[in-house]
Amino acid sequence: MNLARDIMTIACVSTGAFFFLAGTVGLLRFPDTLTRLHALTKADNLGLGFVVLGLLPQAEGLRDGLKLISIWMFALLAGATVSQLIARAVRRSGAR
Amino acid sequence: MSGSSGQRNVPAGTITRGWWSSVASRAVGFGCLWLVLAGAQVGDVPAAAVAIAVATWTSLYLLEPGSSRRSLPAIARLASLFLYHSVVAGIDVAGRALNPRLPLRPGFVAYPTRLPRGVRQNVFTTLTSLLPGTVPAGEENGQIIYHCLDVTQPVLADLAAEEAALIRALYND
Amino acid sequence: MTEFLTAAVGLILTLLALGLVSILRGPGDADRMMAAQLIGTAGIAVLLLLGTVTGVRAAVDVALILALLATFASIAFVKKGLSRLESDGVGSAEGK
Repeated sequence: MNLARDIMTIACVSTGAFFFLAGTVGLLRFPDTLTRLHALTKADNLGLGFVVLGLLPQAEGLRDGLKLISIWMFALLAGATVSQLIARAVRRSGAR
Repeated sequence: MSGSSGQRNVPAGTITRGWWSSVASRAVGFGCLWLVLAGAQVGDVPAAAVAIAVATWTSLYLLEPGSSRRSLPAIARLASLFLYHSVVAGIDVAGRALNPRLPLRPGFVAYPTRLPRGVRQNVFTTLTSLLPGTVPAGEENGQIIYHCLDVTQPVLADLAAEEAALIRALYND
Repeated sequence: MTEFLTAAVGLILTLLALGLVSILRGPGDADRMMAAQLIGTAGIAVLLLLGTVTGVRAAVDVALILALLATFASIAFVKKGLSRLESDGVGSAEGK
């Protein structure tokens, strides 16, 4: 039982770290501001999601788990809102 | 969402009752959020009461209770679609970033939306900012401008499907 | 398990630092705006992992506050910085 939990944690946290890696690579390689914004918001949000999913089996009790999930949902919503605000600002400032 | 505001035909006299029921359901929602974030301790009750009251007032100020019917199965489908899309979007971006040839064809696409400006359109742009390869970047002449990583993808069809799911879930009036 | 999670913290922190370098090097203000976004996702992931590794449960609360502050910082930047970006004129925000 404990082993299964640990395996799930290792698998999910590794997947999350992979998406953070991909997000940073995108940040370094993508050519302009808006494409870098894609890399940052999408890959990193998914990375955070997988890290949270991996930490759930290690949480002590239901409340800790729900707290992790609510933090993740907040970060997801905040990322979705902020990314479009930044994109709008970039477009209005004349970058094409 | 507010589960108890699902009456079929709302006569004029019951509007205040519908309003109070959405106040109550929002307060209960914020109360649950407080319990999750801060835990249940007797000493916290005054702080919790103030926080819940302020949160409920703010939410009523920013987002007035709507009258449109909300269907729970459709909301669940929308939520799962949202999660699925955010996973696909992350994999899509990761694949492009790690691909040695860097397959990008960035550009802007205009999407003519049926949703009225305001809260509904903002909900839609927030939802679609997690679609694979698109970020909403403003609005022009009633069309939403999307920045796309790859303009050769069927972006408009995806957006139309997302809009239909949103209307079924929340704005079915 | 602790060793693995600590390694994940190190990896994500390294990626966060790399991302910050590329953002601060970036040509325009909009690129720098994304730093808050990056900290808002990768930083939260690091804090949540650290909270589990060390057993300090307050780290989760810190992560929540960080998520809130990162969001408000981005929104304030867009609201406040937009007029400045616009008065800068076309092109200077993107730098190319």
